[in-house]
Amino acid sequence: MDAVGLSAFVVIVRLCAMKVLTFSWEYPPAKNGGLGVACFGLTRELLHEGVAVTLVLPKTQETRGDARVLFADTERLVRMGENADLMFGPYNQAATTVESIIGYDATGRPIYQSRTILQEAHRFAHQAAIIAQMESFDVIHAHDWTSYLAGVAAKIASGKQLVLHVHATSFDQAASDNVDPSIFKIEKEAFELADKVVTVSEYTRNIVVNKHGIDAAKVQVVHNGCDAEPVRELPPTLVELKRQGKKIVLYHGRISIQKGVDYFVRAARRVVDQDPDVIFVISGWGDMMTQVIDQVGSMGLSEHVRFAGALWEEDRDRMYQSADLFVMPSVSEPFGLVPLEALQHGTASVISKQSGVAEVLTHALKVDFWDVDEMANQILSALRYPVIRQQMVAEGRLQMLGMSWQIAARKIKQLYQNLLQYATS
Amino acid sequence: MLTVCPYFHVHQPYRVKKYRVFDIGEDTEYFNDASGTDLDNRFIVEKVAEKSYRPTNKVLKELLDKHPEFRFNLSFSGTVLDQFEAYAPDVLESFQELVATGRVEILADTYHHSLAFFYSVPEFKRQVQKHERRIKQLFGVKPRVFRNTELSYRNDLAKWCEDNGYLGIMAEGWEKYLGWRSPNYLYHPPGCSKIKVLLKNYKLSDDIAFRFGNKEWSDWPLSADTYADWIHAYHGDGQTVNLFMDYESFGEHQWEDTGIFEFLKVVPEMILRHPDTSFKTATETVTSYDAAGEYDVPDILTWADTERDLTAWIGNDIQRDAIAATYRMEESVMKTRKRDLIETWRKLQTSDHFYYMCTKWSNDGDVHAYFSPYKSPYDAYITFMNALSDLKLRVDHVVAAKEAVAAAKADQLAGEAKPPQPQLDPPPVAPPEPPTSPAAVLPQSPSLGLARTLWNRLKKIFPAALPQRKST
Repeated sequence: MDAVGLSAFVVIVRLCAMKVLTFSWEYPPAKNGGLGVACFGLTRELLHEGVAVTLVLPKTQETRGDARVLFADTERLVRMGENADLMFGPYNQAATTVESIIGYDATGRPIYQSRTILQEAHRFAHQAAIIAQMESFDVIHAHDWTSYLAGVAAKIASGKQLVLHVHATSFDQAASDNVDPSIFKIEKEAFELADKVVTVSEYTRNIVVNKHGIDAAKVQVVHNGCDAEPVRELPPTLVELKRQGKKIVLYHGRISIQKGVDYFVRAARRVVDQDPDVIFVISGWGDMMTQVIDQVGSMGLSEHVRFAGALWEEDRDRMYQSADLFVMPSVSEPFGLVPLEALQHGTASVISKQSGVAEVLTHALKVDFWDVDEMANQILSALRYPVIRQQMVAEGRLQMLGMSWQIAARKIKQLYQNLLQYATS
Repeated sequence: MLTVCPYFHVHQPYRVKKYRVFDIGEDTEYFNDASGTDLDNRFIVEKVAEKSYRPTNKVLKELLDKHPEFRFNLSFSGTVLDQFEAYAPDVLESFQELVATGRVEILADTYHHSLAFFYSVPEFKRQVQKHERRIKQLFGVKPRVFRNTELSYRNDLAKWCEDNGYLGIMAEGWEKYLGWRSPNYLYHPPGCSKIKVLLKNYKLSDDIAFRFGNKEWSDWPLSADTYADWIHAYHGDGQTVNLFMDYESFGEHQWEDTGIFEFLKVVPEMILRHPDTSFKTATETVTSYDAAGEYDVPDILTWADTERDLTAWIGNDIQRDAIAATYRMEESVMKTRKRDLIETWRKLQTSDHFYYMCTKWSNDGDVHAYFSPYKSPYDAYITFMNALSDLKLRVDHVVAAKEAVAAAKADQLAGEAKPPQPQLDPPPVAPPEPPTSPAAVLPQSPSLGLARTLWNRLKKIFPAALPQRKST
């Protein structure tokens, strides 16, 4: 066998048994945000596509699905290599000198809180280096900034290629350019070290290319999928309000500056001035909760805004099904799964143009998050003309069939294959 | 003998400006965007005039002057004529010059480029008549051949046209209805004895209208010479080659840099070069040839898309909802007898509004497949429905006021008709009320009774709009 034939053979063997070491911070069924949902969907479909995924999570937890899972808090029998400490040099300093901003209080002052996430991310990275030495795999895939260090550590320990998957950036979290410097530092340096960066939207790709200054050729978009499963019809909620002829407009998500709930409340004021029979339901929890409650009070909206707390699973689905309209007013949303969830439950959406999902979902009303008047106009119009909601749901559901995790997983698999081909040639 | 019958359709709609829910009841101007964007009607007409109407009319005039055999047809929507008059009167004059040669025929049409025939034949008829009056007024001619919006056609439309004295009607030459037959003959619709159908040769028409500037097309670049050869190839198998297209194909859909004007300048000469080949207007065509057979179209046929139907206009729920809501207003709009309300309602019937709501290809993410000045089909629908809601409010007010007048009159008549009661006692004298309204300060008289009744009824309908009684 000649040299070319041999290397082709090697490639084929590698592709046949492609093994991926995946790092994620969240994973279902633990109650958390879009990251866990996305990792789960992608992992499940990669397994279907014949990719052997070994999933590494920071803490022992229950997990859903068939992936082989390792927990980074399990005691390791293997000691770290002698030079292992050097691997994390760049980040030790960040961990000791920089605090992280996790939100802003009512007066707009940043809330500095525990560095535990940063510390955890570093601990995760230590463990990742050990695991990378123990495990056999072809490529590393790390999801979101809390796992980037782990991915980088695994790369240094194993010499394998690294894919970083960007579900959100520090710019989204800050909802401005006033980013947490320690997270930004981790993002930027990890992106530079990675062999490929995957973003969940063009919107996020633009941030990575323009704000982090990463070579555009290295950054590829793989839009999130959505599980279009048959939905079980649940008993309605808010029955009494509905009986009174009230129309329900729903927000569901974290209550943080990134999510634009304050714009939603301002739009609510404009809507209620026009139509007092509209009730706004805010489902979720977050660091901006007090501010939003104050805002509702000061705008005289107490009768028109209901706080439902953080709803999960069946409670959330019942709310989706009972709402007349869903609103995602995000200031900066890398993807935004919630309008697709709402759609599955038969509810149409008004969505922020500053979102990734706006790139793939045609059948929604789209608005700049700051354009409160237009947001109110769209809400009022959608409530006024029911046919527009019917059509957005009917056509949107069809469109969702083309947004499966299978399609996303195939793109990721192709990306792995391209990386491995370069590695062996 | 082979003749060529070209027809160019000239149209611009009145696009509805960004009109929000908050504007309902506040703003009665729906078409006055002045932002210099694609919603600004004046801006669009001026832009297209510069790119298409002025240069094309110049070429067409030169061609008419140069070739005495050259002939063609034009069809105008009333909405484009109104906009020419307001925004580009020189363009209107240049069209009048073309028609004055006597070799340019104008076709009949609906004034408002509407789909009224399929929703309300009486309204359709009014629009056709209004169009005819406008054409007579501007061009001094009376159209004899009919073409309907988007070349939409059905057997019953042909029958209507025959019953209303038209000699011909235009339609798409579509295989589904033609079968093996050629579009290059005249046909007669089923159940008609006089009227003839002119069928569009869509292959040759679309070579100019759609494909001319497409570099991916195997026949690009298309020379006038080649095109004339394609026409001449029909000698012996056809009598008339009907080339129907949007006028704006010249310079707007096909930009100047595609060479479209150079093509137009020489193509008549190339066509005439072949002996026994000439041009005819639509009326000349239908009076020169006999029908070769029957063209039976039981369902709506148009010149649009690969489906040749109306799905681009009424294919989805929001489109059907919007158009149904528009025509549901017919009775009350007509009842107002208010010229401005009727005219506004008709401007909202223009088919373009419904086209902007098309979602046919949006699932492919190909949002640019359809041209629209709105950001999405849903934006178009919301804007349209908000404007229509405002119009409905105005119409309902006028109708309610009219009904109040009618009822007051009826009351008055009923009062006068009553036999006088014998007055045994003088009526009890009521203490004089303080003067409270203009009507109340005037002395009582029989003629004032009507005014009073009317006043009281109006007060019930518009409690807020009328001057309030001041308490003294």
